[in-house]
Amino acid sequence: MRLSGLQKQILGLYRECIRECRKKPQASRSHFQAFARNEFNRNIGIDKKDFAAIEFLLRKGRRQLETYASPGVKDIRV
Amino acid sequence: MAALRSTSARILGASRPVFRVAAPVRGFANLADAAQESQTASGSESKLKTFQIYRWNPDTPTEKPRMQKYTLDLNKTGPMVLDALIRIKNELDPTLTFRRSCREGICGSCAMNINGTNTLACLCRIPAEDSAELKIYPLPHTYVVKDLVPDLTQFYKQYKSIKPYLQRDTPSPDGKEYRQSKVDRKKLDGLYECILCACCSTSCPSYWWNSEEYLGPAILLQSYRWLADSRDERTAERMDALNNSMSLYRCHTILNCTRTCPKGLNPGLAIAQIKKEMAF
Amino acid sequence: MASIARSALLRQTAAFPKFSVATQAIARQSAIANSVRATAAFHTTAQRALLPPLPQHVDGSVNDPAPVPAPSPSHGSYHWTFDRLVAASLIPLTITPFAAGSLNPAMDAFLCATILIHSHTGFQQIIIDYVPTRRVPRTRKLFTWGLNAATAVVGLALYEFETTDVGITEAIKRVWSA
Repeated sequence: MRLSGLQKQILGLYRECIRECRKKPQASRSHFQAFARNEFNRNIGIDKKDFAAIEFLLRKGRRQLETYASPGVKDIRV
Repeated sequence: MAALRSTSARILGASRPVFRVAAPVRGFANLADAAQESQTASGSESKLKTFQIYRWNPDTPTEKPRMQKYTLDLNKTGPMVLDALIRIKNELDPTLTFRRSCREGICGSCAMNINGTNTLACLCRIPAEDSAELKIYPLPHTYVVKDLVPDLTQFYKQYKSIKPYLQRDTPSPDGKEYRQSKVDRKKLDGLYECILCACCSTSCPSYWWNSEEYLGPAILLQSYRWLADSRDERTAERMDALNNSMSLYRCHTILNCTRTCPKGLNPGLAIAQIKKEMAF
Repeated sequence: MASIARSALLRQTAAFPKFSVATQAIARQSAIANSVRATAAFHTTAQRALLPPLPQHVDGSVNDPAPVPAPSPSHGSYHWTFDRLVAASLIPLTITPFAAGSLNPAMDAFLCATILIHSHTGFQQIIIDYVPTRRVPRTRKLFTWGLNAATAVVGLALYEFETTDVGITEAIKRVWSA
């Protein structure tokens, strides 16, 4: 299946999230993964033609990733 | 004390020559206007005014943005658009979101598009004479965070890229402070007052199309503020950073920036000065 | 202009001012959606504008400065100065032949060359503005080479016109008095 640019960006963001999870301490790693999965799952029902909404969520996701990826964040609860 | 200080600032502001014709919508508050306002307020009939405000909630991103109408009695509201917005938030709809801080045109937080003009809500009078609806949008061509709050990340990143601080290699002769003649200091007038509200940058068509690479009027005005500073010693380096086809030369002297600046500055002139100084 | 300037989100709102009251809107939503679809079908180029805003792209973290491009005066200050010189020299060049009443082929050729360069740089600015490299790199290349080709063709034509025909000043003179 050929992915659109937007779809690729979303998959890229997800990969980036999982990668950042691995940099977290062993004990809380699964929490971070669950949180990332939950954030993506929450908006899974969005119409794939709704570019404005998807682009906004992508923007928000990147901002969230940047915040949570900082080494000061040690644990997270969904 | 605070009241006294703001009054003196207003008098000073009024005595300064104003070179451009102010748009009818906008104008700085002065004492005469305030007196008139109190006179009209004593009249008992209510003056209703409808505000159409751009609403968009990021929690429901699939919903389209919409214009919401609020009607206020102007006799019970302050004279500025920001007063009306604060009143709407307090009394009608606490979910309305906008940035505000100083409410006197010094912080640049409340920049928004009011009746088609980018301006600070705290410096924009509510046009009381006509009963037309007042339309309030976020700054044009910005990514909206919520309602009237724009995302200015790129703007601030660009500001950081011009190194907005004094760069020197030689210490001062007396080891205390970097001195400057009165003439040199005068060159910074009209530049240092910029509060980075982004009104000018978001009104510039060139910035709309090329905001990733073109710096935009606000940042270029700041850039010139450091180029013109006699104490700065990295002028050549600063010029090199602008010397490409995108950063500076996307300015086509449209002068929307000068027209819209709520502080009455002239970014167009500053950009022209940079171009002139860089020409051979 | 303002309606073109707004982002896609905003434009959609502007199209539906009625939606401000959500309760009324729901019933009419389908009707309006239908009419929109009909309009979209009528306009062959869908609803996407000429240059819709791209998804936001932030280089590095929020606190990093925006990248500063390498200095290239030939695209920057030299280019600008050259542009102004060409534009300024056009004024005396166009006036003198008519004011003096004399025809000098060398001057005529110089006028042609200046007009050619002036229009080339003008179109170049338009291409740089509206066909950005980071968005449409291939189209940009196509446009740049298209402009170069057009300039070459026009240059050749002007050369032919100057050498084998009467020259541009004389031609304008004849058209003017005809």
